[in-house]
Order: sequence, then structure tokens, then C-alpha cells
Amino acid sequence: MGTNSGATAGINNKPVGGATGAGVLVGGGVGGANSSIGGVLSNSLGGGGSGGLSISGLNAGGQNANVGGMGNVGGDDGGNGMVGGGVNNQQATTPQYTIPGILHFIQHEWSRFELERSQWDVDRAELQPATLRRHGHRQCQCRPTPYRFHLPSGQITSGIDNEAQLASQCCLERASAWKASNRNLTRRIKMLEYALRQERAKFYRLKYGTDPPQLNEFKPSNEDAGLAGEVATDSEVPYSSVSNTTWRQGRQMLRQYLAEIGYTDNIIDVRSNRVRSILGLNNNAEHDGSGGGLGGGLGGGTGGENLSPNINGNESNKRASETEGRHTPAKKVQQSIDEIIVDTEAAVMANFEFLGATEMSDDDEISDDLEMVATDNDDTDVKLAKRAKSGKDMLTEDLEADVGEQLLNDMNLMTEEVDGSLGLGELAQLTVNNESDGAYDANSKDGTGGSAGGAGYRKTWNAKYTLRSHFDGVRSLIFHPEEPVLITASEDHTLKLWNLQKTVQAKKSASLDVEPLYTFRAHTGPVLCLGMSSSGETCYSGGLDGNIECWQLPSPNIDPYDCYDPNVHSGTLEGHTDAVWGLTTMQSNIVSCSADGTVKLWSPYNKEPLLRTYTASEAEGAPSSVDFVRNEVDHIVVAYNSAHCIVYDTETGKQVVRLEAAQEMSGNTGKFINKVVSHPTLPITITAHEDRHIRFWDNTSGTLVHSMVAHLEPVTSLAVDAHGLYLLSGSHDCSIRLWNLDNKTCVQEITAHRKKFDESIFDVAFHATKPYIASAGADGLAKVFV
Amino acid sequence: MKMADGSTILRRNRPGTKSKDFCRWPDEPLEEMDSTLAVQQYIQQLIKRDPSNVELILTMPEAQDEGVWKYEHLRQFCMELNGLAVRLQKECSPSTCTQMTATDQWIFLCAAHKTPKECPAIDYTRHTLDGAACLLNSNKYFPSRVSIKESFVTKLGSVCRRVYRIFSHAYFHHRRIFDEFEAETYLCHRFTHFVTKYNLMSKENLIVPINVGENAAPGESEA
Repeated sequence: MGTNSGATAGINNKPVGGATGAGVLVGGGVGGANSSIGGVLSNSLGGGGSGGLSISGLNAGGQNANVGGMGNVGGDDGGNGMVGGGVNNQQATTPQYTIPGILHFIQHEWSRFELERSQWDVDRAELQPATLRRHGHRQCQCRPTPYRFHLPSGQITSGIDNEAQLASQCCLERASAWKASNRNLTRRIKMLEYALRQERAKFYRLKYGTDPPQLNEFKPSNEDAGLAGEVATDSEVPYSSVSNTTWRQGRQMLRQYLAEIGYTDNIIDVRSNRVRSILGLNNNAEHDGSGGGLGGGLGGGTGGENLSPNINGNESNKRASETEGRHTPAKKVQQSIDEIIVDTEAAVMANFEFLGATEMSDDDEISDDLEMVATDNDDTDVKLAKRAKSGKDMLTEDLEADVGEQLLNDMNLMTEEVDGSLGLGELAQLTVNNESDGAYDANSKDGTGGSAGGAGYRKTWNAKYTLRSHFDGVRSLIFHPEEPVLITASEDHTLKLWNLQKTVQAKKSASLDVEPLYTFRAHTGPVLCLGMSSSGETCYSGGLDGNIECWQLPSPNIDPYDCYDPNVHSGTLEGHTDAVWGLTTMQSNIVSCSADGTVKLWSPYNKEPLLRTYTASEAEGAPSSVDFVRNEVDHIVVAYNSAHCIVYDTETGKQVVRLEAAQEMSGNTGKFINKVVSHPTLPITITAHEDRHIRFWDNTSGTLVHSMVAHLEPVTSLAVDAHGLYLLSGSHDCSIRLWNLDNKTCVQEITAHRKKFDESIFDVAFHATKPYIASAGADGLAKVFV
Repeated sequence: MKMADGSTILRRNRPGTKSKDFCRWPDEPLEEMDSTLAVQQYIQQLIKRDPSNVELILTMPEAQDEGVWKYEHLRQFCMELNGLAVRLQKECSPSTCTQMTATDQWIFLCAAHKTPKECPAIDYTRHTLDGAACLLNSNKYFPSRVSIKESFVTKLGSVCRRVYRIFSHAYFHHRRIFDEFEAETYLCHRFTHFVTKYNLMSKENLIVPINVGENAAPGESEA
């Protein structure tokens, strides 16, 4: 406080220094001030009382004293000095004051001002950080308050108090504004949470086709609730009857806490105190949660989706966050939980006394201890769930037995088990439910469901392989029935063979480029359609040139630049007189349809390969697509330009049934069928229409079962997976869509290809045995999704 | 664009289209094509209209990026050369044409292999076309079809040189096939024009006698 002492010295000096001696005294205090004050004194003494002189001298002296007294005051002080001089000036005109008296008064007043000023400055310096902090808290949510108040110079003295008062007022104001913004934030969080819930429900509906049973409110199902009760009584938890409302309140509080968690440590402390006041409840929630499938509830309550898996499964994460110290914002959520655990340690210990005893003996440090409690909590909770399921009488013994084991290792094992969810049977469901929160829930469920074996098989498809080597649009593609191999047919007159296991990493992308292994050349025009024998040894292609070419597939490990083997091309089926647009296989037979108006059944390796020709009446126009009826031997379904489908008996050549809906299809040529496929197991035919619809037909009655707008532009291609559960459709709107055949809802849409003229996607396909889907586009690319 | 009610032209080959109607739609001006494949569409449209009008097909529209123009033309050449390869497959076998030759002056080595190999003519043809297909579709060299790096435009020259040997082999060893093919497509004619115009090959390499001049008329082939 050098400034203060200097000023004090000045004050002390000046009364004494009424005469010339003052110069010496002052000089002892401050060197610079000494000479000037001395000068003033001598000046005024010698001058004999000229007001003007004395005033100027005083001014100079004042400034100098000022400089001496407070080394840190800048130009502002000159102004103050002037004020002092002004006051002095008035006083100087009144006759009863002596010059030394005036001088003394002025000096006294001056130094008082200076003292106050310095205090003021100190106060300001102290207040400033606090203000900044509060500004930070409020951020942009309340109007910026100007900090500095400009008061008239005459009120400086009171101005200091004034400002302090104002500042505190301002603080109050800010505090209230802050509360308001808190409320605001809470409301927003609620809104977001609601939206999230809605989204989840929607997502669930899309995936499963039913309303989510328990996702909405994180309410435990009956079974789960029962379990929770059981767990509670078993472990003698005193707060077993936590109603949903109190529980939700607790969540609300926690959420508030989280919302503010980004603030200073002080606030966190205050908040954590508040949280502590409701700790009993929270602890409860956690117990019930992990015990009875409510674990996600806590995660939801605290607003962090990542949190839930952390609590339930990922112990290493938890430990890491604890050791990392409490200032990592991302981990604060975790810490808040840990704090909760600190406070309820006693309660936890009471509940798990047997565990507590061992921990205490193992670890002395509180933090380690806590960690153990935390892990044990989860550990036992998971176990509780398990045991509660298998038989509650076993519970205590089992737990005690577990205490003897290495708890952490045990936990890890447990986690693995949970993650894998293999061999747990119903438990798998239960433990997965523990993590039931939002997207994670869906993913984990999907993952485990898929690995568990098929029934709940569901996934998100992502583009993985790009097949680029065609010079023009890819009209058709077909997978090998077993190998990760496919064949594409293009308007560039060629077919290409691809092995998805022979890839080249594409630059700067996650997708892989595949180089073709073999190029099939025989067509003299665009190749339009493909078929493959069920053995995967032979492939057939139909082209604009009217020919059907038969190919023996080269080995999928062939060198792309091997010698030309003319035997790959094993024959040409000649018979059609115009473009062959549709081709499909059934055992050793193939059926083709052509723009010449005929549908032909072939047995390619017969002496006379052409078995039969089916021709509809002129009015039907040319056939556009053909498929075998999969659940009925010797039936084929043919789509005609008339937008009708006709089912033929291949043996008799007679029309079995006509698929038409007079009302739906009446007199509109825009309803042209681009593709027809038969359901692999059900008597259902699916058609893709130019009018953006996909329509479902009953093969036995020939009636329309279902009709839906499926794309933004004409639907060009269809494929049904081998189990008959999913439908894949491609469209000139550049996208492919995956449909759940059960409820006819779109599971996924992928934008896959670009347009050439007004065409985009020509074909889509499922791999019969491997999780691949593929699309072929007018942009000359084929893409495979996994 | 949305509905096919006759009000707008939809350029689509719907299943069931007769081969004579394939791609038979009114021409679309290049400036109205908003596709990334506009140049390909434009070139194919010109060829479809009259394959013998080589001059017009090779006339680059104004404001067209020359690299892309050359690239798309070369793609089209390689694509149409498949037709020649299909014909050659029937006649040109490793037993008759053991080496890739045109005149007796040169034996061409196949560049598709790690060390250039003396492939039979048919293998050379197939390998060269397959290699060109891979190169021209390579995501590394030609990631975009709307803009092409100048450094990779130079690669087009070597592709031209190699695929030209298919013409020359066919001309000198399978003249009937060459003439039939040329009568239909004017492909060698167009190719010779193309490489001359954009200086992608030196004149002495252009050994198939095709009169590249102002009076280049259809019927160049002696069919």
C-alpha cells in the first residue's frame, strides 16, 4: 500500500509545514514534491499575497504533491487538482483566511481526496473481477450493465459510496436476472428433453412399428418395478418406496444442477450442497435404476446420454474421470455422481456392510474408497438384478461370496458379459435395458440383437464399396449367392465381376474402391438385365441386342489381367427379336421378357434351350419385367406396359390370374410398372411403378393388398431379402429405400447415385446370405452397403 | 420434370423400350443439362444423332473446360472400343495373333502388367481396355467429372496411344472386322480427328490411313 502511506505522509506533513520548515519535512517524505512545494512556499511568502500567484503556485504544488504521493495517478488527477484549486480560489477571496492557512487547508483537502481516491481505486480493483465473473455468468442472457458511473465532480466524495451502493444494486439485479435466466434454461432443457423423447418414440415406432412401451417416461415396466421392489427389500434399503413423482423431482433438480455445471467452482459447491439436500432420493434412484432397469432413468435425469452407459457399464471410464481431477468439464457429470456417492457413503455402507468392511481394510484413502463404493454399487446392482431374477433367497450368500473376489476384475468381467450379452438369456434383455437411453439404447439393442442371432436383426446400412469402372450407366447387378462377389451389367456393353474382398483403399475416405476382376464382353449394345444360377457358377445377361448371353463365372481370385479364356462365354440364347429387359432364374431355368412382346422360358444347357414362349394380348403391350412366383412352382409373374401383371402357369402356358385393380389403375398410363418381384415365401407380388408407388398384390385373388407412395420419382427397382422381411427399392429420385415388409414403413433412405438425363437408379439387390445390399446407377457406379 | 403427362420430356429408357427407341428422345441443349454428367450426355447425344458427323461431335462448346471435354471423349472412345473388342474376340485368337502388332515394324508390349509383357493381341486389347477403364474411373486421378487436374490430363495421351493400337491391329490384321465396325461407328475416324485436334498423339504414330482434313467425309472406310 505504498500509495496510501505516501498520502498519509503528505497529510501529516502539511499541517506541520505551515511555515518554511514544511519543505524539509515533505522533502523527507518525497523528493520530487519537496522542491516544488518549497518553491511554492517561497514564492507565496515572497510574493506577499497575490491571489493569482498563490493559486498558480498551489496548483503546481498540488500536482507535485499528487505525483509524489501517488505515483500511479495519471492525467485525471490534473483535473482534480484543478478542482481543488477552484475551491481554493473561492476561499482565497474571503479576507479572513491567511495564505498559509489556505495552503494548509488545500493541501489537507487534497490529500484527503487522494486518500479517498486511492481507496476507491482499491475497491474498484477488488470489485472488478467479481463483476467480470458475474458478467460471465449472465453471458448474453441479460442486458449489459455499464460498470462505471460518471458523477458530477462536486459529488465525488459521496460518489464513492454511491458507486458501491450502485454496484451492489447492480449485483442484486444481476442475481435476479441470473435466476430468471436459470429458469429460462430449465425451461429450455425441459423442452429439449420433451423433443428428445418425442424423437425417440418416433424412432422406436419407425423401427418396431409399435408405440414404445416404456421409452417415453423411463417408467419401469411392471416386471421391472417388481424387481426393483424385490431388490429394495432384499438389501434392506429403507427408501424402497420412491414414487415416480418424487423421483422425477429428483431428476429435475439434478438436471438443473447439470445445466449450471459449467459455472465456477463456488457455484458448483453451492449447487452440490443443494444436491446433497436431496441426496437420499438420488441414491435411491440409482439403486432402483440399476436394479430394475431404471438405470437409464438416472442418465436421462441428469441429461447426459453418455452418462448412462458410464454408470452402468464402463468402470474404467469412471475411474479415469475420478483420477483426472474435478476440473474437466466433460467429466463433471460423473463427478457430481461421485459427490452423491460421497455423501451417501454412509448409507451405502449401511446397505452393503459386508462389502464396506472389506473395502475399508483394503483402502484407506477416501477417494479410492469412494471409487470402490462406486464400483461395488454397480457391481452389486447388476448382480442384484441377476440374482433377483434367479432367486432372491440366494442374494445375500452370493454377494458375500463375491466380496472375497477381486471386485474390480469381477466388475470388468461383468461388464464384458453385459456388453456381449451372450449366454445371459433373459438377463441380456434386462441388462441391456439398464442402458436404455436414447440412441445408445437402439444401437446397443440392435448390436446385441444381431449378434444374438437374427430375430431382431436390424442395422443401419452405410456405403462401403464403390464399384467404379463402367463407362456408362449400370443397368443391373446381381450378387453371388454365397461369396462376397457380384456382377454388374452396364450400358457400356460390358459386364464386370467384382470381389468385395479385393479392395483398394480410396483416398481420404472411409469407403473402399473395388477393381473389377473380369470384364465380360459379348453384347453389342447396352446390357440390361442379369440373372445368376443358384449355384453361383453361371450368370446370364440380357441386352438391348436381343441376346441372352451365358457366362461361366471365373474364379473370384482371378488375376484381372489374365489371358483371355473364350470358354467364360458359354453360349448365347437367341430367340428374342428385341431388347431383353427382364431375366430371372429358378433352379436351372431362366425366364426372360423382351420388348418383342414375348416372355420366354429357357433351359440354357438343353439341346433346345427355349422351352416355351408366353405371349399376352396386344392390348397388354410389351412386358417390362418378369419374376418367378417363389412360393408356387411353375408360376411366373409378368408385368406389362398396360400396368397389369399376369401370372402364368409355365407348364400349361395359361394365365392363372391377373393382378389388377380397376379403380386404382384406371386409365392411367403413368402407372407403368418398372419392376415386378415375388415375395420369397408369401403369395404376394410387389410392383414398382412409374407413378412413385409400390404396390402389393395377392397372388391368389389378384387383388391389390397395399399401395403406397414410396419415392419422390418413379420407382425403378425392387429387391426382397431372402427371409422376406425387408424390401429394397430404388428410384430416379437418386435414393434407395429400405422397407420393413411387416408394417410397410421405411427403415432407411440412402441417397446413392446421380442423374444422367432423367434416370438415376436402375437396380438394387440383396445378398442372399451375407449382409450386403447394393445399388446400380445411371452415373456408371455401383455401390455396396454394409 | 415431375410428371410424365406429356408436358415435359422425360429422357428415360423404361423397361420394355424397343431397341430402336432406346435413347430416342429430343435433343437437350447442353446449357439445359444440370447433371454432373452433362458433357457425357451431350457427346452421346451428338453421336446418336449422326455418328458420321465427326467434326460436329468434336466441336467443343463454348465455355467448356477442355480437360473435361477431352476426358469425356476418351471415355466414350474406350466404351465404344468394347464393340470392336467383341468382334475381335471372335476372330483374333492367341494362336493366330500371338503378338500385338500392326505393321511389322513394332511389337507392342502390354502395359497392364508389372513388367510389360508380350501379350497376344486379344489379351493386349482386353487388358488395355480394362486398364483404361480402371484409370479413367480412378478416384485417385479423376475424382470428378466436372473438373480435371491439368497434371492428369497428360495421362490421357498415353491412354490414347495404347488404345489406338487396337485400331491399327484390327486394320492390318482383321480388316473385315475393322471395316464393318468403322462403317457403323466411324470410331477410328473420330479418334484420329480427336487426337490430331488436341495433339494427343504424334502424326507418325497414326498409321491407319485416314484422311484427316477439312474434307473428311463419311465413307472413309473401304467397306
